Amino acid sequence: METNIAYYRDKLGLTQEKLADMIGATRQTIISLEQGRYNPSLLLAHKITKALQRKNIEDVFIIK
Amino acid sequence: MLGKPSWFMRRKYTGWGFTPKTWQGWVYIIIMILPFIIITEIGNFGKIQLTFMIIWAIIFAADFIHILLNLKMDERERIHEAIAERNALWIIILVLGLGLAYQAASGIASQNNFTVDPVILIALVAGLLAKIISNIYLDRKN
Repeated sequence: METNIAYYRDKLGLTQEKLADMIGATRQTIISLEQGRYNPSLLLAHKITKALQRKNIEDVFIIK
Repeated sequence: MLGKPSWFMRRKYTGWGFTPKTWQGWVYIIIMILPFIIITEIGNFGKIQLTFMIIWAIIFAADFIHILLNLKMDERERIHEAIAERNALWIIILVLGLGLAYQAASGIASQNNFTVDPVILIALVAGLLAKIISNIYLDRKN
């Protein structure tokens, strides 16, 4: 699954570590998500969307 | 409880259990192990020494289990852990099964009787029970 996590994270000036702390995940998970190697649960996707201050999950996660 | 789960992380590449993540984790490990070394080095105190060792071991084991059960993992780590544990279990079952087959075959070949190590059988049955109970619990939970 492709994501815009890195884009929105950079926009907010967040490091991978900081974002991971905000959502209760590890930095490795953020790296995997940004590289599109891991499909998150709905709950994690929602948390990330909220942490990146986006309204829609589709803004952050692109399902092809 | 004495140790905090946040001081540790799961052991990924060097076996089971946990490994210290912070300096507090290392201090905790040293504090927990030190009494064993000191008591052993001091000499033989007989019953008092043995009682102390048993009490300390129980405290250590209880705290170890508490930390292990409360280790912080995110969902990706949980999935990885579950798959790794499943793979480990498959290998263990395979080896135990081969061991049983070998014991049974060699018993029959040499003495013409079916003899197997009961510990292996108990391990397999206990594992089976753990799986059944886990599935019942998980089915009821969600």
